[in-house]
Amino acid sequence: MIILFVVLPLIVAGILPLVGKVSRRVLPDLLANATLLFLLVYAAVAGRALIAGGAVLQQSAWLGEAVNLRLALDGFSLLMLVAIALVGFAASLFSIDYMEHYGAKANYYALYLVMIAGMNGLVLATDLFSVYIFLEVAAVASYALVAFGLGHDELEAAFKYLMLSVAASAFIVAAIAVVFGMTGSLDFAAVASALQELNAGPVLVIASAFFLLGFGLKAALVPFHAWLPDAHPSAPAPISAVLSGLLIKVSGVYAMTRIFLNVFGLTPALSTVLMWLGAVSLVVAAFLALGQKDMKRMLAYSSISQVGYVVLGIGIGTPLGIAGGLFHLFNHALAKGLLFLTSGSVQQATGTRDLDEMGGLAKRMPITAATNLIGALSIAGVPPLNGFWSKLLIIVALVQAGHPVFAVIAVLASVLTLWYYLLMQRKAFFGKLNEKWASVKEAPFWMTAATVLLALLCVGIGILFTSTITTWIQPAADVLADGVHAMTGSWGF
Amino acid sequence: MILQTALLIGLVIFSVLAIALKDLLKSAISLAVSSLLLGIIFFRMNAPYAGVFEISVVAGLITVLFILTIALTKSGDEVRESKLVNWVFPLVFVAFLVIDALVMKGLLGKVPALASGPEAGTFGEVLWRGRTLDLVGQIAVILAGVFAVLALFRKRDKHD
Repeated sequence: MIILFVVLPLIVAGILPLVGKVSRRVLPDLLANATLLFLLVYAAVAGRALIAGGAVLQQSAWLGEAVNLRLALDGFSLLMLVAIALVGFAASLFSIDYMEHYGAKANYYALYLVMIAGMNGLVLATDLFSVYIFLEVAAVASYALVAFGLGHDELEAAFKYLMLSVAASAFIVAAIAVVFGMTGSLDFAAVASALQELNAGPVLVIASAFFLLGFGLKAALVPFHAWLPDAHPSAPAPISAVLSGLLIKVSGVYAMTRIFLNVFGLTPALSTVLMWLGAVSLVVAAFLALGQKDMKRMLAYSSISQVGYVVLGIGIGTPLGIAGGLFHLFNHALAKGLLFLTSGSVQQATGTRDLDEMGGLAKRMPITAATNLIGALSIAGVPPLNGFWSKLLIIVALVQAGHPVFAVIAVLASVLTLWYYLLMQRKAFFGKLNEKWASVKEAPFWMTAATVLLALLCVGIGILFTSTITTWIQPAADVLADGVHAMTGSWGF
Repeated sequence: MILQTALLIGLVIFSVLAIALKDLLKSAISLAVSSLLLGIIFFRMNAPYAGVFEISVVAGLITVLFILTIALTKSGDEVRESKLVNWVFPLVFVAFLVIDALVMKGLLGKVPALASGPEAGTFGEVLWRGRTLDLVGQIAVILAGVFAVLALFRKRDKHD
């Protein structure tokens, strides 16, 4: 029952406000976390068995009559489902303690689960218009979650995010309209095979450009990144973790790669554009991150930079490049989720996000400091953590595919990444303890538990990287490397 | 053809007014008029269902909601808007019109299209049988909207 991934969080979200009337904290905490834990176990355990014989298409029946609830699961969507469930679960564990002082917890979890349902729906959708609708589901919930603190900055950031996101949606709808006008269909497989018959060169370029603008905005690639450094830091920490760790990847990178690689087919020109976009994001955002004093803002710029790596890897178009890009997507989701969660612990303990005001916090918050260090080193690409292997794959793929210049850029940007993360470590956690923080305590149990979970995964995947790649990444990369054939070959009814 | 052109021009003018007018009430009414015109255009292009929804939901229901909201809110502090908007928007708009006029006509002739038959089945069949997943999505969007309103207009008791 693939539909559970969409319907279960929606049903729980629907009853949460009612449950919230009975119990303001305990039941909403329990219900939301249990739902996400169930989805995680279901995706991780049952998912692989489901796709053992190739991609599955499921059509549901309603009161005995077949209705068109078509969802498809293949290696790529399964990888995304696992990532969503994993980071989603960690962030919701973290919320148990962290969201305590915001109030309206039932309402918070309801929005959170709708966002998760939107992301799950997007990765399982089989047609362009459904992609758009679920994109909006996740986006509408995320606007409210960014503004959840109701402060001036939060509202302003949410408004800016809303405005740019609407522009992105407009481009995406325009592109869908162009494709529908040409092919008379919205279904991935039907569009893919229709485009093979049509000689649609120039019009396809326009549709691709619109998609690139729309999904580029959603993924916050430079130069479409202006909203992210405001929106992600302003949100409550678990939401920042989900937005940076998941949402930009699902509604930006996933949707873009699915359509470009599996429906349109990756042309050399498109591949070059993607690689340049990735490389520019990678470098520009890394430099911008260096200059930040606000801890969460630095993390937000780092997200833009790391999404650049992912797009650069996938843009190469070779099986190794795609595998590297997807592996980095997964690793970055874990590590950036972890970093945003630890920044939330620090912010809650000290009341500030300003790195200059911090200092020596490792003495007062040893677990938070240690987990933050693991996340930072993982993203910077220090062996043997998971981020190292994915960056290595991308760089090897770049050299193999004959792009040594891009490979050098990727290595140098990695050095920059290490530089700003070490700056963060030095300013926030090491050095002399600022006297102001003498009475600071380690974060509460659930917040620490969530960060430890993600940190252990970062270390574990780094050590067991070969089995992670063969079990989760390779099936996903195969789907994308198969190109248009993956849709027309196995997704027909 | 003349009527169609007039309708399209009216649609653009009222849409621009909806953005440009400072008075929220006038802005909401301009939006209603523009979607009314869009509804008529839908009817003339043989898309009666789209027309009905456009007129009843967007021109009708949403306008009522907007006007209700405007009536319920008090006139508060004057919000200072950036002067930039005053000249950037017309500039972008004119640029869009020029590009549209130069590119679109040539382009439309070149769009290859597969011969697609008339929409299969009745409206009900298309909606319930063809686009059921979208209905689930719609429900989710509505849920998100309701929860967003509940969250954003809650009493700020605990948080600073």
